[in-house]
Amino acid sequence: MNSKILALIQITFRESLAKKTFIAFFGISTLICLLFMFALNLDIVDGMQSSVALFGQESKELIDIEMLIFKIESAVAVLLFSGGLFMSLFATSGLIPSLMQTGTVDLLISKPLGRFHILLGRYLGAVAIVGFNVFYLVIFSWLILSLKTGFWHAGFLMAGIMIVLTFAILYALMTLLGILTRSGAFSLMITYLILFFSPLLLQRDQIYALLSGKIWGILLDSFYYFLPKTAELGNITRLLVQGQPVFSWMPLWTSVVFGILMLTTSTYIFSRKNF
Amino acid sequence: MTVIETHHLTKYYANGRIQALEDFNLEVTPGMIFSLLGPNGAGKTTLIKLLLGICFPTRGKAKIFGQDIKNYSCHSKLGYLAENHRFPEFLSAERILYYYGKMAGLNRSYLLERIPELLELVRLKEWGKVKIRKFSKGMLQRLGLAQALINDPELLFLDEPTDGIDPVGRREVRDILLALQERGKTIFLNSHLLSEVERVSDEIAILKNGKLIEKGNVQQFISVKHTYQLRIQNGKAELPDILNQFQISAQEKDDMLLISVSDEQQLNQFIDELRKRQLMIQAIIPHKVTLEDFFIKVLEDSQPS
Ligand SMILES: Nc1ncnc2c1ncn2[C@@H]1O[C@H](COP(=O)(O)OP(=O)(O)OP(=O)(O)O)[C@@H](O)[C@H]1O
Ligand SMILES: [Mg+2]
Repeated sequence: MNSKILALIQITFRESLAKKTFIAFFGISTLICLLFMFALNLDIVDGMQSSVALFGQESKELIDIEMLIFKIESAVAVLLFSGGLFMSLFATSGLIPSLMQTGTVDLLISKPLGRFHILLGRYLGAVAIVGFNVFYLVIFSWLILSLKTGFWHAGFLMAGIMIVLTFAILYALMTLLGILTRSGAFSLMITYLILFFSPLLLQRDQIYALLSGKIWGILLDSFYYFLPKTAELGNITRLLVQGQPVFSWMPLWTSVVFGILMLTTSTYIFSRKNF
Repeated sequence: MTVIETHHLTKYYANGRIQALEDFNLEVTPGMIFSLLGPNGAGKTTLIKLLLGICFPTRGKAKIFGQDIKNYSCHSKLGYLAENHRFPEFLSAERILYYYGKMAGLNRSYLLERIPELLELVRLKEWGKVKIRKFSKGMLQRLGLAQALINDPELLFLDEPTDGIDPVGRREVRDILLALQERGKTIFLNSHLLSEVERVSDEIAILKNGKLIEKGNVQQFISVKHTYQLRIQNGKAELPDILNQFQISAQEKDDMLLISVSDEQQLNQFIDELRKRQLMIQAIIPHKVTLEDFFIKVLEDSQPS
């Protein structure tokens, strides 16, 4: 069974690559790594202090290296969490609708594969290519920075896991929408909407000050706890990078529950669908 | 032992407004080439989709290799060429066969041997490394056939396999099918090319508006009982006399005479008489209609009901 699903994952991987967006992603990541490798020069002057040169422009002050590494790693994480997720969702939005096309899905079902496996292979394929891209940048920039400075922060690697996990949660929603509507553009729109709308729910106290009636409060609260909490997940990612303690994991596990719920519903609908 | 059996298989679409298949009963035995005929929208593709679990029956049951169709484990012994099949166009023919073979549960070393053989068989040997977006329709269809054969299946479902394939290619496909039958494989065919069907099939069924209207052996359908084509060289003037004597009805068709006898005994007495009168018989052959004639007649006969 595993090698059959692996073949599905591989096809999905190839299909995403054919979309070129991930090639661009990969190119940008490579550029960033090259920048760290060649353009960033750290002269360690006095143990903890150094002078920094970017593109040969040397800054006059001495800087705390560890702070600098935290800053650079945070910047990379933020870039991945915002731009990376944005690009990844965009590039994978067509995968489920294209799976469901007549002529494609028929052939897959005619293989000794359950429908659950077909959907799972597709889903994991999408997560795999995003994971590959995210970890390509995370691992290489981490290695370069750590080798240059001697500071090895595992937090940055954890941030990589958080970013892929956030993608996996949002992609579960996109999978369900893709199955229901067969439209990549529509699923993408709604997923972006959730991505940008859920941070607003953090400010729900101010929203219900504007609305009368208790019911609104309950409604907004349920929305908040039900939907993936992208802003807080971003925050946890940042805390992880900087090696600071994370006070509440609630946003993470409620979001994971949301993802699992979306996937289960998707599987249920997909395995009963007439093609 | 049956390979395919269906019991009252029924499929409605659009909440019962479209009756794609109605109370369909069928048995296909091993080693047979079975063809399903019918006009567009008759429900042929629907039947295959039901059998493969691509859509689900409204009512009724079906079994493949004795297993309920809900169980997909028998799919490892199946091959399927879908109508309008679609492969990932960014892959080469070889890669497609490789991935689809993997999904069929085949291992790498088997596939590396099998893929070149299949590409050779469907005459795509030089095209193995080419991305299929550059393929013509007929080439895609050939690749579809190769894909259906990847696991050397016991049972093959082919939905209009020669669609888009040129005449020489069609003959090759026919030879492939007959060779598979020789090896004991069962083939379930949907086709509109009745001359092809006539040449390869053992049994046919005719569907119309989702209902089975005829089913049986092809040769029996196309040979007309007690009717023979007769060609003689000389003495045509004497013929009406002899025909009268035996009370045989006859009609002229091209350079032949179509005669209807009551039985084989009468036929032989008739021949004796012809020989006695020194008429030179050039040929006497059982008369057959084409499957196309038969098909159209069956559809017309079913019209009033
Ligand atoms: N997914 C679907 N939703 C609704 N109706 C459908 C669906 N698939 C098929 N039908 C209808 O079911 C009927 C049978 O279709 P089917 O594809 O089985 O015909 P067919 O015999 O294969 O025709 P053709 O010779 O054109 O391939 C048609 O009336 C068709 O419109
Ligand atoms: Mg059809």
